[in-house]
Amino acid sequence: MATDQEIVIACRTGDKEIYRELVERYKVRAYYAALMYAKNRDDALDLSQEAFYRAYKALDSFDTDKNFYTWFYRILKNVCINFVTRKKTHNQISADREEMPELVSGDANPEEIFESNEQAKILWQAINQLKEKDREIIILKEFQEMSYQEIAEALDIPQGSVMSRLFYARKRLLKEVEHLND
Amino acid sequence: MIKQKLTCEQAQIRIMGLIDKELSSDQEMELMNHLKTCPVCQKKYEAFVGLKNEAKAMKLKKLPEIYWDDYWDQVYNRMERGIGWILFSIGLILLFMYGSYEVLHDFFMNPAKPLLLKIGVGIFSGGLVVLFVSVLREKLMVRGVDQYRSVKR
Repeated sequence: MATDQEIVIACRTGDKEIYRELVERYKVRAYYAALMYAKNRDDALDLSQEAFYRAYKALDSFDTDKNFYTWFYRILKNVCINFVTRKKTHNQISADREEMPELVSGDANPEEIFESNEQAKILWQAINQLKEKDREIIILKEFQEMSYQEIAEALDIPQGSVMSRLFYARKRLLKEVEHLND
Repeated sequence: MIKQKLTCEQAQIRIMGLIDKELSSDQEMELMNHLKTCPVCQKKYEAFVGLKNEAKAMKLKKLPEIYWDDYWDQVYNRMERGIGWILFSIGLILLFMYGSYEVLHDFFMNPAKPLLLKIGVGIFSGGLVVLFVSVLREKLMVRGVDQYRSVKR
């Protein structure tokens, strides 16, 4: 089986079909990563596909000594953040026009993401109360199952900082969970 | 060199490495020794393990297989369309430049055409361009966030 790096090198020679192997390898992870931002199935599918397309266009800038998925994740994250920002602006404009409060909450629909479970609902709610920096690192660790080295590459931070960032994020998460359980 | 003992804060940060299985055996042993003698950190350790287990128990909902069937096709279509859009845009720019030159040369620079007609055509064309760009921009913006775009009408 070809490695990610071998596939990227083949893609650079113009072989589009071989890119399919990379897409098949990472589509599920990419979908779930997008779902954490988009919070609904259709948008998550669309955003992850868009990210694969943009990654294909940018393959020349990929350093083949690095991990493909962490590089791809950064593209995916940008695509998702742009989407969320546009959606917020759009909802704001609609709400202003119709003089109605914003109806769609950012952390709606945990049922679309997780199997139904009361504790999962609370934890997901608590995760969404966190600041984006904390929320992201927890998602990378718990739901993307990245190693510390992968997290460091994905967030572009020193590997030594991952443990302490996770500590403070989890500490705040514990507090939120306790607060919601009270 | 004398090794300094772990402080509680260092130990609690290191608990992350322990529950995520990222510590070396030396680091793990040092932490375990601290936990044996520190009830505060021991309590924290239990809380973090509980949190980790709760997160593990959260099962991400599986996407029905049907959604994965044409996943690659959708990515491939975008890749092809991307090249198509680049060629289309280059062609359109060239055509627009040629058209503008022709109109400028044959109509606006032609002294036989009345000035009022030239002003009228100029304003009309300008308005059309503004309207076209505005509608296009709105369509693109709405399309990006339209939750019902996949619904067949």
